[in-house]
Amino acid sequence: MISARAEIVGNIWKITSRVGDEVAAGDTVAVLESMKMEIPVVAPVGGHVSQILVELNQIVQEGDAVVEIDETASA
Amino acid sequence: MSQFDAGTPTDTLTAQSADPRSLLTQQRDGRFARIEPKGKRVHTARERAELLLDDGSFVEMTPLRTAGTRPDGTSTSSGVVAGWGTTDGSPVVVISHDAAVASGAIGAVMAEAIMKAQRFAIDRGHPIVYINDSGGARVPDGIFALHGCGGIFALNVKAQKRVPQISLILGPCAGAAAYSPALTDWTVMVKGQGQMFLTGPDIVKAATGEDATAEEIGGSQLHSVTSGVAHLEVNSEIEAFDATRLLLSFLPENKGAPQRRQGPMPANPFAVEKLPTLVPEKSSVVFDMNALLDGVLDNGARLELMPEHAPSILTLFGRLDGHPVGVVANQPASRGGILDSKASVKLARFVEFCGRFDLPVLTFVDVPGFLPGTVEESRGVITHGAKVLKAYAETESPKLTVIVRKAFGGAYIAMGAASLGADVNWAWSGSEIAVMGPGGAVALLNRRELAASDEPEKLRDELAAKYREEVARPYVAAEAGIVDDVIHPEETRDRMVAALRMLSSGTSTSSGA
Repeated sequence: MISARAEIVGNIWKITSRVGDEVAAGDTVAVLESMKMEIPVVAPVGGHVSQILVELNQIVQEGDAVVEIDETASA
Repeated sequence: MSQFDAGTPTDTLTAQSADPRSLLTQQRDGRFARIEPKGKRVHTARERAELLLDDGSFVEMTPLRTAGTRPDGTSTSSGVVAGWGTTDGSPVVVISHDAAVASGAIGAVMAEAIMKAQRFAIDRGHPIVYINDSGGARVPDGIFALHGCGGIFALNVKAQKRVPQISLILGPCAGAAAYSPALTDWTVMVKGQGQMFLTGPDIVKAATGEDATAEEIGGSQLHSVTSGVAHLEVNSEIEAFDATRLLLSFLPENKGAPQRRQGPMPANPFAVEKLPTLVPEKSSVVFDMNALLDGVLDNGARLELMPEHAPSILTLFGRLDGHPVGVVANQPASRGGILDSKASVKLARFVEFCGRFDLPVLTFVDVPGFLPGTVEESRGVITHGAKVLKAYAETESPKLTVIVRKAFGGAYIAMGAASLGADVNWAWSGSEIAVMGPGGAVALLNRRELAASDEPEKLRDELAAKYREEVARPYVAAEAGIVDDVIHPEETRDRMVAALRMLSSGTSTSSGA
């Protein structure tokens, strides 16, 4: 299991993936609002989204896991 | 009897060691014998120097110098191969640690040999490339080793004001062999082969109990991503030499030497075409700053330094109109292009370097601000941010700044603003410059009205739009003469080229254009 992490402190503005979604490395799985910018949280690896660890409007710190990706489930 | 008339004193000697020619041959055979490199290393210290330099150009200094004689009468190498040669025809001094001799550990004699090469480079004004592969100070040499290492450091610092210094890390480099690179300008590490640390795994374990591998303590990943100690990570020794030659191609041989101009090349035509529509109108939407740089800079070689460390700031060497330039840019695609502690240190170091060697600094601004909060304050963001202000204010090389979308607050100043000495600065027609962005400003300035409003959302948008037009538009800055001009994106290159020609005339003895 690999986490897609927040690269900066911010507010979870959008969650753009759902459990079970297939994602490729670099895909946006959620969007943070920080410094008035829409900062994407991207999948570091390809696989399936296995867990969403945040809720909308939750504050996350730099490095916090936002979405879990199961890379073994990759097609 | 004079001392010159000593009868036939050479009889016995000649009998033993034949003639002078064969004696020299024998000496050389002993000193140049190839010792198989250990571990992941492929090349010897001498081969590394030769591979870095133009074919056949390497001349070794003091090749017969020894660090003493073994009981069997053979002599040991000083542990370093130092000399000079050329890259792309330009002189360079090379100092290459010999890991086959006591793991490249620096003894008194080795330090002397290194310092001799450093002094030569400083006196004559040639860049120095250090090929590091050393366990640090040679323990049996005790205080003499430490004294020598300190001497190398002092010359590293002296050289900073005189010649570019590049350090390659091609093996485990501990202690003094890690500190010397940190006193040079740019450090290149080979992945999986080079490490830098105060001390390696065994001593770490003994000192603190921490269990960690050499890669964990000081591998290229750690230093190029997290710590920022290394500025480039490459996959092989050959790649390290290629990167070094490319880096040198942007740098003058010494402070005050002519800049290495080449024939001008136009910007990438596809990128030029996209320039007017590249930056998203909505200031919260991210984009890739590299695509913008493609539409402005010469479409030739570039070298980005520290690409993975503090990636919200881009620092790279490229060319404009054939003239080597240092480029600084916010990267909105990474952390929104913010400035924080690490980005500030990276940016300040780069600008300071450009200033030291008279390289023009081109700054492309799209910055939402300095990242605030407890984490950044505890990292000392004020101290680090101030380094950026100092670097720009102190740098005397030509400084050109263009605001491509937004520039707010202290970060506006820090990104090469007019007040810090930008020679010419422009703002793109759609840009915003203010103490804070419209959203934040309105929330602060109109707090009471917003609280009293039945429709606060609607009022906020109206007030923000008004603020954007009345306060943040670049015409406010241009009418005050703070921004020199407001321009269309596609005009950027021509404006910068014209300014750079004017600013660098007289200081650059061009042969290229």
